[in-house]
Amino acid sequence: MRPFFFAFAATLAPLAMAPLGAQSLASRVVEHDGSVEVIFPSRPEACGDGRSFISHVFGNRNDFGDRPCVHGPARVEVTVMDGEVTRLRSFVGPVPPSANRTITASAADAGAWLTQVVNGASARVAQEAVVPLVLVDEFEPWDVLLRVSRDDARPLAVRRAALNWVGFDVNHHLGLDDASADSEDDEMRRQAVFVLSQRAKRDGTAELIDAARTSRHPSVRRDAIFWLSQVGEPTAVANLYADLLKSR
Amino acid sequence: MIRLGLLTAAASLAAAPLLGQSLASRVDAVREGTIEMTFASRPDVCGDGRGSIWTTRGGGYNSYECVHGPVRVTIGRSDGQTVSIRSCVACRPRTDGATQFGDVPADEVARYLLTVAVGIGGTSADKAVSAAALADANVGAELAQLARNENATISSRKQALFWFGQSDAPTKDLIALDHDLTSETLRKQYVFVLSQRHDDAAVDKLIDVARHDPNTDVRKQAMFWLGQSHEPKALAFFRDILTR
Repeated sequence: MRPFFFAFAATLAPLAMAPLGAQSLASRVVEHDGSVEVIFPSRPEACGDGRSFISHVFGNRNDFGDRPCVHGPARVEVTVMDGEVTRLRSFVGPVPPSANRTITASAADAGAWLTQVVNGASARVAQEAVVPLVLVDEFEPWDVLLRVSRDDARPLAVRRAALNWVGFDVNHHLGLDDASADSEDDEMRRQAVFVLSQRAKRDGTAELIDAARTSRHPSVRRDAIFWLSQVGEPTAVANLYADLLKSR
Repeated sequence: MIRLGLLTAAASLAAAPLLGQSLASRVDAVREGTIEMTFASRPDVCGDGRGSIWTTRGGGYNSYECVHGPVRVTIGRSDGQTVSIRSCVACRPRTDGATQFGDVPADEVARYLLTVAVGIGGTSADKAVSAAALADANVGAELAQLARNENATISSRKQALFWFGQSDAPTKDLIALDHDLTSETLRKQYVFVLSQRHDDAAVDKLIDVARHDPNTDVRKQAMFWLGQSHEPKALAFFRDILTR
């Protein structure tokens, strides 16, 4: 009787923490093994071709040549095996015809479900859930991602994936997305940031944090913010990002 | 019995260097085929007998089967020209009828190989330079000369620069090469070679190149190698660049 009670209690605990929408969407997703497509509204700036690339997540423009970048819903192709999510692939844009099971979800339900995945799934799946979480329309994923970044119980790869996107948001928030580096001196400063990021044992992190906080050169600041997400101590970088998101 | 004795004597005479004949002229005398010779290697050089060569100067080799031994050089000749050079340490002699020069003084063969490297192309030039650098001979001046030689291929000049950096030549001699190395490829190699010196003068020179080289990519490369240095002045340099 006692083992049963413990098992029951253990099942209840995570469910109790997840909102009802996330519960029902999560359980619908894993209802059957195989592929299922979860479709939900995406941020208004985001676009893609529905099959391969995603762009303009923050409205900044990336060039994909002649390929049209079309705004549309986000689509997450989920692989389920033995009742567990084992893979997520994300798309934005026109939804191609598919023989897979399809679930159309509200933004709120998608945000809650993906938050749950980022917080609790295995490293690979949690990493793959970060992008669609950022894509959810009218949903602020930053607190969730900052919390994951600081959580040393989560795999480092998940913390880095979360930091990476918070870093993009920080740059967007500070208006640094498109900071140009036209002069040769700018180019050298950017190289200095890159080189510092490549030093062993995070030896250049203090200089990068300093540059991210105070540099008067926008491209240096942007690069320092980006590289810190890749190489800095995650909790320290998350704290820095949280500070920068409050500033401007 | 007498015939056998005569043949043996003739064979020995053919293998022995002719008095006063330079290595170059002995090589030139072979119009077609392969020449093989051996010479003493530096004490820190070893090989696995199958073509891999290590030097222990940079911290040594670990679990490899690495045996100190002579350098064996094979020179391919065609139509009176040297067309290929290969080298090996602690290898067995060839058994395919190559003309055997036997043991040759390391000094002489190293200088000869560096001369050949000027005119020969491809990997053979690289092999010639590296074989010369492995010789138990003092060829620092010749390596520097080859690094400067605008008639040599960039590839052999790069090799010469690398091995000059690895030699016992003082860093000031390496620094003195700066103005003779104008191509981007050579200058990138130059900053790499400087970075392998790990001394104060080399770090100062790297900072100088990172600040003042006319080529942006060379400056970036110098910065990259400075970034790998643990010298406090390297970190100070980056702080300065970022705050300007």
